[in-house]
Amino acid sequence: MDMRQCRQHLSHMDMVFYSFPASWRLFTVDPSALKQSLFIEENMNAIESVAPSSLKSNNKFLLACAAAAMLFSNGAHADATWDKIKQRHKIVVGVLLPGGPFGSLDPATQKPNGWNVELAEDIARQLGVALELVQVQPSNRVQLLQQGKADILIAGMEWTPERNEILSFAPTPFYRVGGIAIVPQSSSIKHWEDLRGKEVCLSQGSNYAKPLTTEYGASVKGFKSSAESLLALRGNNCVAAVHDAILLNPLVNGNPEWQGYRTISPELIPGNSVVWARKGEQDTVAAIDKIVQGWHKSGWLIATEKKLNISPASPALVELHDKFKKS
Amino acid sequence: MQDQLLSHGVRVLKGFGLNYEFLLAASERVAFLHGLVVTIELSLATMFCSLLIGAALAAMLVSPQRWLSWSARAFVELTRNTPTLVQLYCAFLVFNMLLTQVLQNAGGNPLTPFFWVVSVISLHKGAFHAESLRAGLQAIPAVTLEAAASLGFTRTKQLWLVQFPLALRFALPSLINNLVDLVKMTTIASAIAVGDITYESIMIWTQRDNVLELMLLLLLFFGALTYLVNLGGRWLERRLRMPGYGQ
Repeated sequence: MDMRQCRQHLSHMDMVFYSFPASWRLFTVDPSALKQSLFIEENMNAIESVAPSSLKSNNKFLLACAAAAMLFSNGAHADATWDKIKQRHKIVVGVLLPGGPFGSLDPATQKPNGWNVELAEDIARQLGVALELVQVQPSNRVQLLQQGKADILIAGMEWTPERNEILSFAPTPFYRVGGIAIVPQSSSIKHWEDLRGKEVCLSQGSNYAKPLTTEYGASVKGFKSSAESLLALRGNNCVAAVHDAILLNPLVNGNPEWQGYRTISPELIPGNSVVWARKGEQDTVAAIDKIVQGWHKSGWLIATEKKLNISPASPALVELHDKFKKS
Repeated sequence: MQDQLLSHGVRVLKGFGLNYEFLLAASERVAFLHGLVVTIELSLATMFCSLLIGAALAAMLVSPQRWLSWSARAFVELTRNTPTLVQLYCAFLVFNMLLTQVLQNAGGNPLTPFFWVVSVISLHKGAFHAESLRAGLQAIPAVTLEAAASLGFTRTKQLWLVQFPLALRFALPSLINNLVDLVKMTTIASAIAVGDITYESIMIWTQRDNVLELMLLLLLFFGALTYLVNLGGRWLERRLRMPGYGQ
């Protein structure tokens, strides 16, 4: 197979790619990464060996495309992620850093820290491999995982039937979290029902959009991340902002900038936060699930919660600790 | 009948591995179509405002009045040399918030996110238009202006009746270039939750994870939109062509 031709076609892809608005590129596959990938060469050799010779000479471009397609299908391996982790002695974990004790950047060292990071570090430690952290956003985390930029996600992602369709997960939850609303003290909104017909800020990719629109009739405005959404709330662009309770509770409890605000409970669609992996990566999720069960058994998660001053303490962690202590 | 056709179409595409099921959910279909309209509205509004701003800035740039040309130059450099997204965040998240606090007792802040997107993009692209038009204005031979002056044209009349009509012809390809870029730039509206086509697509694909399918629609839509701008530009070029002047 002539690699030069393949590269030529890919460079045409490049030209098309860079003619789109720059902000879109975040959501698509970067062809430069594709080009560098050794996968193509490997897979093309594999295809070449089985393709009839007439096809080889005439349809080089088709072969290149088929090789590129194999790159994304990952069908050949039982668990490519697990092989990759073992091979590189490294696990790449996508973490969400929403600010606060669940994940933020240390202003002094610019290093990520918090709950999500502690969990990622312990997984790497128990697997005996190095750790690479990739910061993800709610709007791009699934794509980053699917494209192989991260091996697993610890990103405050609750289990939903839709995500279950396209991804695999470690079944034991490491936290339980739902959405609460934050409103100014003077606001007339007291219950979720009061949001009918009002504008509510949230982040793009939030799974509270659906219950807010269908159940409570609110009109939602999605911002790039929770930081922009909260700023928009401060600018009176919406009457309330809805985010994970673990993000909003620390704000009203401890942050002097948010003293003029209060929250609205009970939690909206409380869900189980689990560790996500690509679809079908059974070895990876089995290994991770064992680690998560170990955390509950030893009470390590409760200790970590205490260490990070997360309040109010989650009753779900106590419940899970009791459950796994016995087994 | 229409519904049947639509669901049939979605089924056929599903056979090709493309999941367009969001078109069958009324709320998402309406949101997507509304996004198309908002993007077209945004494009038209920003085109109009940016051209006005561009013309005004260009006139200031070539003005013999020092304070006019210098302040225009300072503005062009400032807007041209900073990223649009940063400008938008700065305007909407910072400036708008401060404005809201000031106007709290005066009946609230009437400015919408749509307004902020149109003004930020118009000012940004206006600076580019101004530079394109300046190229046209300065390409006019001095003898033409002397001829105009000898016919009794005042400085202002020279500018509007002689310089601008000629400059527009010189600058047209470059202006159309700017306008094509402007249409694509409207996608930054999604960053502050203005319901344009990109925003609606993001909201749909974060729920359904059908990024590829929506991206294809977005590309087709923007391809068609910029092609229309291009066609309009070509038509204008032919229409404004002066025999004996250039090609």
